[in-house]
Amino acid sequence: MNGRFDQTSMIVLKHVSKVYPPDVHGLRDISLHIKPGEFVSIVGASGAGKTTLAKLLIAEERPSRGTLEIGGWDITRIKSRDIPLLRRQIGVVFQDFKLLQKKTVWENVAFALEVSGETRRRIKEVVPHVLKIVGLEQKAYRFPQQLSGGEQQRVVIARALVHRPKILLADEPTGNLDTMNTREIIDVLKKINSFGSTVVLVTHNREVVNALKQRVITLSEGRVISDQAEGKYLLPS
Amino acid sequence: MLIVTSTVRILAFAWKNFTRNAWIGLATVLVLVLSLLSVNVVLGVNAVSQSALKMLEDKIDISVYFKPDTSPVVLETARSYMVSLPQTQNVELLSAEQALVDFKERHKNDPKILAALGELDQNPLGSSLIIKAKQTSDYPFLIEALQNPQFSSSIESKTYDDNAAAIMRVQSIGQSVRYFGLILIAIFTIFSIIIVYNSIRIAIYTQREEMGIMRLVGASNAFVRLPLILSGIFQAIISLAIATGLVTLIIALLDPKLKTLFDGGDSGLLSFFSANAWQLLGIQAAAIIFLVALASWAAAGKYLKK
Ligand SMILES: Nc1ncnc2c1ncn2[C@@H]1O[C@H](COP(=O)(O)OP(=O)(O)OP(=O)(O)O)[C@@H](O)[C@H]1O
Ligand SMILES: [Mg+2]
Repeated sequence: MNGRFDQTSMIVLKHVSKVYPPDVHGLRDISLHIKPGEFVSIVGASGAGKTTLAKLLIAEERPSRGTLEIGGWDITRIKSRDIPLLRRQIGVVFQDFKLLQKKTVWENVAFALEVSGETRRRIKEVVPHVLKIVGLEQKAYRFPQQLSGGEQQRVVIARALVHRPKILLADEPTGNLDTMNTREIIDVLKKINSFGSTVVLVTHNREVVNALKQRVITLSEGRVISDQAEGKYLLPS
Repeated sequence: MLIVTSTVRILAFAWKNFTRNAWIGLATVLVLVLSLLSVNVVLGVNAVSQSALKMLEDKIDISVYFKPDTSPVVLETARSYMVSLPQTQNVELLSAEQALVDFKERHKNDPKILAALGELDQNPLGSSLIIKAKQTSDYPFLIEALQNPQFSSSIESKTYDDNAAAIMRVQSIGQSVRYFGLILIAIFTIFSIIIVYNSIRIAIYTQREEMGIMRLVGASNAFVRLPLILSGIFQAIISLAIATGLVTLIIALLDPKLKTLFDGGDSGLLSFFSANAWQLLGIQAAAIIFLVALASWAAAGKYLKK
């Protein structure tokens, strides 16, 4: 179903536009090519289309024009019954995609596996593993309120990792965090990237982008206005 | 192993949905019970009116009383002629002697009448024919047929009570109950669909966080959809149990009362429901589960398609 797994391209967008009815242009004629293992930052002013791009990648929205491929799989007109498969290949960390307050850290992470029909044995294996990656294996039995904002965000990242996704997509993961917590999150993302996952980071944070010294794609009014291999945050913040 | 785990999990989610929205669940159950009851009331009234009609129709006959001195040949002529008519269901010839025996039996507690009868040296009663038609509408023809000159002069009197007024009343009551009953069933069915649909929407709303997470982490559609549909089906099953209990209770209370109206005969209520119990339960279960599943499916689908 995924077609051939293309080692040279993880995410390919060809002339993608997104128009929200009636005539709001989220994205205008975007073409992008992201290779496996890349760490890409997407920056741009508010309303530039960053979240729209993220939503297209996980088929939360469909492109109005153009084509979209993930790991060689053309998801432009993906059927809704195939969407779960796609989402297991892309771990997502979204601004409004929180933890369940009534569940512990462990349960929050396990939930993602339960609803995918994983066995209890596999859950017992995976949960400690991903909690270890984000450095929270000691706090598995805490509830979200008993964690700092950064720790909560790390749990969200751990949850995004349960299916060993090829891509980790994070939309403003450091949005509400202070410098210390921000650095922790970015370190976790780097670590995940070093294991081989492609990381797509949407951010407003100039320091983060500049410190990363990785590829930076700048959006403005729905267009790519700059795409640099070892980029800097261009816009005035 | 995986299927078992998933099934258990889906059932657990469904049960949680169901208990979490208990009040809405209760309202849903109430409406489902009402619609099931309306179906059963219509069925019950139908059964009772059928058996009332049957009873009334069974009571219709023509009694032909012959003069006491009518010769057996004439009686036999009359009997065989009436039997030969295709409209006739049954003809009973009651001899004068039998009539007297019956008369004495009927009045055995009335010594005066028996004494008066003893005064007579001859049987004062004549023979009679009791004629039943195949169909109620055949009686006028049979009455016509009794004009046959071969025996009509020996006839002393005829009684014919067609129960027409009573039959018409039962028919029209049955008709209007069926009519309003069907309207009621339609209304309750529509209500049921609407409330089930909306209770699922509310269930989705109350757990929008879980649902959102489920979708983003790539939960199988079954995990999103099935618990919702199952919690609807739980409601249907509970409603079915309550409605069945109520119907059974009502029949148990009502049937003895109805029996007295039917002169101790079968009112049709208990006999209809007990003869068709499994079939009725099965059909109603299938219908309501289908209905609820469809409404839940649609509500969940609307969410998934978004
Ligand atoms: N569901 C929607 N319906 C209509 N218009 C939308 C919708 N989502 C986004 N838009 C519009 O599309 C444009 C791009 O929005 P998007 O959310 O992608 O911006 P963004 O770059 O993520 O901004 P921010 O930095 O504030 O998160 C905006 O003009 C926005 O108003
Ligand atoms: Mg955004």
